[in-house]
Amino acid sequence: MSDKELFEKYDMPAEELFGRIDHNELESEKITAPRYSYWKSVFRVFFRKKINIVMLCLLGLIIVMSYLYPTLVEYDKYGNVLDAATKHLRPLAAMKLLGYNIHWILGTGAAGNSTFDAVWYGAQISISLAFVCALINLSIGVVVGAVWGFSKKVDAIMMNVYNVVANIPYVLLISVLVMLFSPSFWTMVFALTVTGWISIAYFIRTQVIIIRDREYNLASKCLGTSTPKIALKNILPFMTSVIVTLAATEIPSYISYEVFLAYIGMGLSDMSLGRLIYEAEGAMVTPGWEFEFWSPVAVSAIVSIVLYVVGQNLGDASDPRTHM
Amino acid sequence: MAKYLTKRILYSIFSVVAVVVIVMVMVYSLMDRIKVFANDANYTKLLNNQKITYRYQQWESYGYLDYVSYSDYINQLAADGEIDEGTRSAAVSIGRTAENDSEITAAYVAEFTEYYESQGYTVERYDAVMGGKKVATGGTQILFAYKDIPLINRIITYFSNLFEFDNINYVEDDVGERGLTFTLYDPLYGGEKFSPAIIGNGTYHKYLLYFDDQFPYIHQNFLTINLGVSYSISMGIDVWDTMTQTQGSYVMREVTYETGLTENSADNLHTATYVSGSQSATVVNSERYLDDYTNVSTFNFGRSKMGYSFVMGIIAVFMAYVLGLPLGVLMARYKDGLLDKIGTLYIIFIIAVPSLAYIFMFKAIGGSVFGLPTTFNMESSSKLYYVLPIVSLALPSIGNLMKWMRRYMIDQMNADYVKFARSGGLSETEIFSKHIMKNAAIPIVHGIPGSVLGALTGAIITERVYVVPGAGNLLTSAIGTYDNGVIVGVTLFYAVLTVTSIILGDLLMSMVDPRISFTTKDR
Repeated sequence: MSDKELFEKYDMPAEELFGRIDHNELESEKITAPRYSYWKSVFRVFFRKKINIVMLCLLGLIIVMSYLYPTLVEYDKYGNVLDAATKHLRPLAAMKLLGYNIHWILGTGAAGNSTFDAVWYGAQISISLAFVCALINLSIGVVVGAVWGFSKKVDAIMMNVYNVVANIPYVLLISVLVMLFSPSFWTMVFALTVTGWISIAYFIRTQVIIIRDREYNLASKCLGTSTPKIALKNILPFMTSVIVTLAATEIPSYISYEVFLAYIGMGLSDMSLGRLIYEAEGAMVTPGWEFEFWSPVAVSAIVSIVLYVVGQNLGDASDPRTHM
Repeated sequence: MAKYLTKRILYSIFSVVAVVVIVMVMVYSLMDRIKVFANDANYTKLLNNQKITYRYQQWESYGYLDYVSYSDYINQLAADGEIDEGTRSAAVSIGRTAENDSEITAAYVAEFTEYYESQGYTVERYDAVMGGKKVATGGTQILFAYKDIPLINRIITYFSNLFEFDNINYVEDDVGERGLTFTLYDPLYGGEKFSPAIIGNGTYHKYLLYFDDQFPYIHQNFLTINLGVSYSISMGIDVWDTMTQTQGSYVMREVTYETGLTENSADNLHTATYVSGSQSATVVNSERYLDDYTNVSTFNFGRSKMGYSFVMGIIAVFMAYVLGLPLGVLMARYKDGLLDKIGTLYIIFIIAVPSLAYIFMFKAIGGSVFGLPTTFNMESSSKLYYVLPIVSLALPSIGNLMKWMRRYMIDQMNADYVKFARSGGLSETEIFSKHIMKNAAIPIVHGIPGSVLGALTGAIITERVYVVPGAGNLLTSAIGTYDNGVIVGVTLFYAVLTVTSIILGDLLMSMVDPRISFTTKDR
C-alpha cells in the first residue's frame, strides 16, 4: 500500500504531515511545559464534579435568601399577634387565611408570624456567626499553629496552655461571658473565639511538625533559606488544602454549636436558627405545629451540608496532587 | 517509662489545678454574686432587712465572705463567760436606729464595730424599716460585720478538703472506746452470714468497709471525695454524691435495726453516718438505733445520675466500635464501591447536620415508626426505654469511627510495605487483615480510654431530649441555677477524666505498637 492510499484510507489530506523548520537558537533555549496556574487548576478540578455545581447553586440560593431576602421584605414578628386565628397554622390554612404569597408557604408560628421569613432571618444571623467565628479562629489558629509547630520552645509552653484551655468546659466559658455582657451577636463571637482558636492551632501545629522535617525543607534550610520564607513558600502551599478542609468542617460546626447553645438556653438573644429551634421545641410533638419546628431544623441542616460538601470538595481540589 | 509517666502525671495534675483555678476565678469573681439568688424561692419571698440578712448568710455558706451578726457576737461573749446572762439580754437587742440604743447596747455596739473593723471587716447597720407606726414585715433593724474571703484562700481550702480520710478521732463528742473492729460476720446480716466488714467507732461513717448486693458489691468509706457542696441542685449534698446517689422511688425491704426492731423500710443501714445527739433527739431514732450513727441513705429504684449515663454511654461506645470499625474497614476495602458511597453520605450527614437536629429526627422516627418510648421513665424496669437514647448516642459515634478508620486504612493502603506485600504475592484479604488493619488501628486505640471514660460524663443533648436523669445535664443545670459549687466540682471531675484518658490512651497505644516509645528522646 502506498502512502497515498494509506492517507485516503484514513481520510487524511494527501500532503506531508511533517515539515522542516529552521533551527532557532532562541527557541531551543526555552523549556516548554503546559501552563500551570494553581488556582485555575483548583477550579478546573472543582467544577469537574457535577455535584459541586449543584451545591454551589444551592449555596448561592441560600446566601441570596438569607442576606437579600430579609432586606426586601418587612418581617414583623408581632404583626399578627392580636389575631388569634393566625397562630400555629399549617401552610395551606395559612395561605387560605392570609393570602397566597411566599410568606406563608411554611405556615405560621406562635405569634401568627411567618415561619418562612423567620427562618431566613435566623439563617442570616447563624451563617454570619459561623463565618465570622471561622474567619477569626482560622486566622489566629493558623498563625499561632505555624509558630507553635516551628519553635520547640513555644511548643513546650503551648502544650501546657493547650492542656489547660482545652479542659475548661466550653459551655461554662460561654455562659459566664454571656452573663458578664449580654447575649448579643458580638458577645457570642467573642465567646466562641476566645478559646476556639487553640484547637485549630493544635491541629495546624501537628501538620507543621509532620512537614517541617521533610527532606526538601531540610535541603532548603541547608541552602540558607530563612525560616519565615520556609514557612511561607514551602509549608503554606502544602497546608492550603488542609486549611480549606478545616474551614469546611469548622463552619458547619459553629452553626451546630449555636443551635446547641440555644437549645440549652444559653444562646443568642437574636432570633437565630438555634433560638427558633429552641422556642419551637414543644411544637415538634404537637400535631399540626410541626412546620414551625422542622423548618429551622431543615434549613440549618441544608445550610450545613451544602457548606460542608462545597468546602470538602474545594479542599480536595486545592490539593495539587489531584490536579493531574 | 516510670519517670516519664510520673512527669506526665505531674503535668496533668498541674493542668487540672489550673483549670479549676480558672473556673473558680470565673464563677466567683467574674460572675455577679447576687445572681446566686436568681432561682431562690426563699429570697424572693423575704422583704426589707430580712432579705439583706438572708443574702449575707447565704453568701457565707457559699463561701463568698465571712459574716458575723451582732447577736452572734454577744452570744459568743456570753458563751465564753465574758459577760453574764443579764448583760447579754440587755445588750443583745439593738434600737430601731442608732440613736435609740440603750447605753449598754451602745457600748457593746461600739466594741463590736471596733473589734471587727480592726480585723478588716465591714460593719453595716440597717435601721428598722417602718410601715406606718409598726415595723414593716422583715424590717427589723440589723447590725452585722462581713469580710470577703480572698479567692486564694478559697482555692487552698477547696483543694485541701478534696480528699477526706475518715479517722477514729473524727467525732468530737464522747463516744466511748474509739477504734476499728474487723468482723467476718457483718452484724447487719444477723451476724451469721459470712460477710467481712470493718466497723468504726469515733469515725464519721459507721461501716468503713462492707459487702452488699448493690453494684459494685464491695464498698469503702475510708476515703471520701469532696468535690464541693451543691446549693440549688441538691441542697447541701456533695457533687460526688449527687452524681453517684441512686434516684427514684424507695425500694422497701425488711430491715432489722440495731435494737432488733424490724420494719419495712428503704434505709440502707450500711451508710450510717454520725450526727451528734441524734439518737435521743427523736423517738423514731431512739427506737431504731443504739448510738448516734443514725443518718442513713436509702435504697432507690433507679440508678444514680452517673449510673444512667454510664450504662447508656458504655453500650453506645461498645456498639460504635463493634459496628463502626468493620464498616470503616469495608469502606476502605471496597473504595468507591456502593458501601463506600452510602457510608460517605452517612458520614457527611452526621458531621454536617446539627446534632440536635438528628437526635430529634431519631426520636421522631423511633417513636412513630418503631413505637419505642421517647421519654425515659426511671420507675419502669423495661429495657425499651434505653433503646432510643443508646441509638442516638451510638449512631454519631459510628459515623465518626467509620470516617477515621476509613481515612487511616486508605492512608496505609499506599504505603510501601503494602506494595511490597502485594508484590510478595499475598492475597488482598491477607494484606488487609494482617497488615493494613493492624497499623490503621493504632490511632483508633488511642481514643478507646477516652470514649469509655467519656461515658461517665453523660451526653447533654441526648439526655435532655429523652429526659434521662443522667449526669450530662449537671453542668448546664448548675450554670442555669448559678450553683457555683457544682460548677467547680463537675469541672474538676471532667478535667480529671480528660487528662486520665489521654495518658491511658498513650499507654495503650505504646502497648499495642511496640515501635512507639515515650522514653527515647528523639521520637
